[in-house]
Amino acid sequence: MNQLSRRVPLVDGVAKVTGALRFTADLNVEDLLHGALVLSTHPHARVARVDTTAALAVEGVHEVFWHGNTPAHFYNSSIWFSGQKALADEQMFPQIVRHVGDRVAAVVADTEEIARHAARLIEVDYVDLPAIFDPEIALGHAGLPLREDDTPTFLNPVAGEAFVCGDPEAGFAAADLIVETRVTTPRSHHCAVETHACIARPEPDGRILILSPCQSVFAVQAVVCQALSLIPEKIRVQKTPIGGSFGGKAEPILDPLCAFFALKLGRPVIVRYDRHETFAATRTRSSVTGRMRIGLSSDGRILARETETLVDIGAYCTGGNYLPGSMLQRLMRLYEVPAERYSGRAVYTNTVPAGAFRGYGSPQIHTIAEISLDIAARRMGMDPVALRQRNLVGPGAIEPWQGLDLGNARGRECLSRGAEAFGWLERRQRGVGRGRWRRGVGLAAATHINGCYPGFHEETTASLRLLPDGRAELVCALHDLGCGADTTLAQIAAETLGLKASDIVIVPADTDTCPYDLGTRASRMTYICGEAIRRAGVALATSIRAAAGLELNRPADDLHLEAGNVRRRDDAGIALTDLAARLDSRGIELPAATESYRAQANPGSYAAHFAEVEVDRLTGRVRVTDYLAAHDVGRAINPMLVEGQIHGGIQIGIGYALYEDVAIDRATGRMRGDSFSRYTLANAPEMPPIRVLLVEEGEPTGPFGAKAVGEIATIPVAAAVVNAVNNALGTELTELPLSPERVLAAIG
Amino acid sequence: MSELSVATPGDMAELRAMFAAAAGPMNFIAGGTDMLIAGRPLPMGGLLIDLSRVAGMAFICADDGGIRIGGATTVAAIAADRGLALRLPALAEAAAQCGSVQIRNRATVGGNIANAAPAADLVPVLVAARARLGCIGRDGASCELAICDYTPGRGHLIAEVILPRNGLLPYSAFVKLGPRQDLSISRLNIALLAEFQDGCFGDVRIAAGALGPRPLRLPLAEAALAGKELAPATLRDFLSALTAEVDAAIPGRGSQTYKRRAIAGLGLDLVAQALGLSPRGQLFEEAAQ
Repeated sequence: MNQLSRRVPLVDGVAKVTGALRFTADLNVEDLLHGALVLSTHPHARVARVDTTAALAVEGVHEVFWHGNTPAHFYNSSIWFSGQKALADEQMFPQIVRHVGDRVAAVVADTEEIARHAARLIEVDYVDLPAIFDPEIALGHAGLPLREDDTPTFLNPVAGEAFVCGDPEAGFAAADLIVETRVTTPRSHHCAVETHACIARPEPDGRILILSPCQSVFAVQAVVCQALSLIPEKIRVQKTPIGGSFGGKAEPILDPLCAFFALKLGRPVIVRYDRHETFAATRTRSSVTGRMRIGLSSDGRILARETETLVDIGAYCTGGNYLPGSMLQRLMRLYEVPAERYSGRAVYTNTVPAGAFRGYGSPQIHTIAEISLDIAARRMGMDPVALRQRNLVGPGAIEPWQGLDLGNARGRECLSRGAEAFGWLERRQRGVGRGRWRRGVGLAAATHINGCYPGFHEETTASLRLLPDGRAELVCALHDLGCGADTTLAQIAAETLGLKASDIVIVPADTDTCPYDLGTRASRMTYICGEAIRRAGVALATSIRAAAGLELNRPADDLHLEAGNVRRRDDAGIALTDLAARLDSRGIELPAATESYRAQANPGSYAAHFAEVEVDRLTGRVRVTDYLAAHDVGRAINPMLVEGQIHGGIQIGIGYALYEDVAIDRATGRMRGDSFSRYTLANAPEMPPIRVLLVEEGEPTGPFGAKAVGEIATIPVAAAVVNAVNNALGTELTELPLSPERVLAAIG
Repeated sequence: MSELSVATPGDMAELRAMFAAAAGPMNFIAGGTDMLIAGRPLPMGGLLIDLSRVAGMAFICADDGGIRIGGATTVAAIAADRGLALRLPALAEAAAQCGSVQIRNRATVGGNIANAAPAADLVPVLVAARARLGCIGRDGASCELAICDYTPGRGHLIAEVILPRNGLLPYSAFVKLGPRQDLSISRLNIALLAEFQDGCFGDVRIAAGALGPRPLRLPLAEAALAGKELAPATLRDFLSALTAEVDAAIPGRGSQTYKRRAIAGLGLDLVAQALGLSPRGQLFEEAAQ
């Protein structure tokens, strides 16, 4: 009922702003115990001795856990279904710690204060091992034999991906210009407002209930079961409201610990990280060194491209082995390049593990590629918009790696309409100025996926049923991360049922009550879950009309759903509440529908971003002064939320370009940027005016034509800003973030 | 050690009485913006005196004789005081750029001095203005000392900041360089007080923070401006002097390479702001060449 393309407010907005909604750390759980961790202060060391005497003597302490009294099962915190094959190298409390911030011990006590106090009393002896912080050096490095079968603790590279298509040599031979670049991207951190937290509670039936602000309850269940060597039936997981994730809560970190503590002590246990712990002991975006070689004809066609990536995945594998491949996947979907060679490697270092972070490899690879392409444009004296326009893929293009159809790909429209609205040519012609302050403009294009097809279990199941009060209940293992997915999906359901988004009652994700779903990842919520929900909605509407047809003595085809009623063409009809009451009075179950949807395609979302910057040549400070983002979203189900996603993506991207780096000290392995006073984000004063331009040409395979926007919103930002700085200064800066030091060093 | 006890005196007399009565260690808390943040241990025992409710300890008095500011005056109050903005714009500017809105609302001038951070934003202005501190000693007696002679941790309570008339000059400014525009700890900050008449500088005093353990005067930079005509050549000498000051202050430090250059940008902003000129004007652009 006109629920689409509407600025519907967040369905949980009132509960959030009034404080009625409870986050995990605010939940009132009876008999709750509190855990506090001891984290390694050494980057690579054998934990020789853990003296728990003093901690155990503290009144209110229930137990101290460490490698001597906890399961040593190896696990991988990135798996998303039980039994998944993955390199399992994590342990709850490893005997050999592999990064500063690795877990050494935990105290569980009556209060968090007691637990933290007692944790400080634990004495740990470390025997240092050689530590490696540089991914290039790590390439030739293996760890110590640790396991029973003498396999080393780690082998580098952990994973690799190689691909060739066309004839790169012939392409380079025919090129009029060959450009070679080396671009490095930083370790950035998610900085969600809510720090990591988890509660585990023993249930009367002997199971453990986990309350977790997570991105997939089934992933939490799988990881906990692997870490504790339990069968899935022993663990129930419910998703709690989440105060931001951005991928940082994609991998369960505290959940296995909490579950084990609760199991051992027979009491509910919460572990809640503080800000420092969330920085030092969770996940970051992987840093990548990219080398690119691009061969171009004089008219700006890319004839051949060669890309090498080296990904620093930190101390544990988690999902890092996928990164070289996912970067390749995203790189192949933007331009038509007749000859490509790609080689990507992932290496361990003794640093905090990398993990999921908005775009999962896409920001890294597109930053590398788009900065490189801009350098090529400058060297050949070609306008960067024209160069991209010449090479961008169009609708129906087939990408060469997986052979997938890119769908209704509208990157060219983003570029042309964005450039026009931004006034690209005029600004470019205006020049950069001569004095202390220089002004530059830059742009970048980007693409991102829609779901996991053709890999993994890219399908989901949605159930909708009519409630006695005329509303509809939706069960689909949904994990809104605060981005408004629940609202968007409620709009889709409501549209099919003649209801309002607020009439859709969303059941939180729960392993006991929801069918399996991959969770919130890979830009799949609107495109995949949305389509399953749309289909379930259409099916429920059919069954409501059939039921109403019997009540009204009319063929169902003559009926339609509108404003909470089933209506005939002459507008007479029956309210859904009355229909429900009548069915109920006769003992008939209320209409319900369940639909499983398996993805058949993975179209691309596209974007072109335009940035204007001003650079102070004396201090090296960069200010982003204007910004325009053009996005091919297929169709905006909720334009307000789409814009919100884009605004937030730009905030993360500006930080990625200019400020953000956890800055692991290359001598000690310590994180220098481990607090908000030392890790700089773009705050409100740093944000430019932003214009958003939506290209809505419809994606035939998406629900009501919609495609994803959540991740792509941040992907082109850093390259657009860096390209603008390079334009302003006539530099070729390629090492991110562009700190004032690096800017000054580049202008000599 | 005995448990920590907290006292909240209501006026100066009560406060002094506590000094006399206290036997063990004594600590002070005002805004708490440094003491209460996670990771910093609170005092484990003794007496913690809350200064935030002491009547008569938060005031700004700017008259012909000079300026007096109560030690518990908030940074926000200093930033908002009109009289102060006229007499010593640099102090109002430093206060307005200190921390965030929330921090400014709680943090106090006494705390900014006593916390003794190398990058404390108010202190360079106070050093350049030859501020004196009216303190209460451990024995409850009053004493006065120059801000340069103040050492934290000696039990002195900063009751008031005194800016003598002869320390103030008609023009002043404060500028800082931080990782972002607001809510940032200065990587470098500078304050300037100057006489300026008929296109020429008279007396000039400059102090900078984050160039050493505590803010320091920059005599070379002062000499480059004092008595000189405002002209590109003077400004260029001034910028060279600033660079020399950085080289002398932090030789061999990792940040030296950056700070010795960036201080030029700050220096031009500082002079322009003090004189009410635009740093984008031709004079400054010429100096920057």
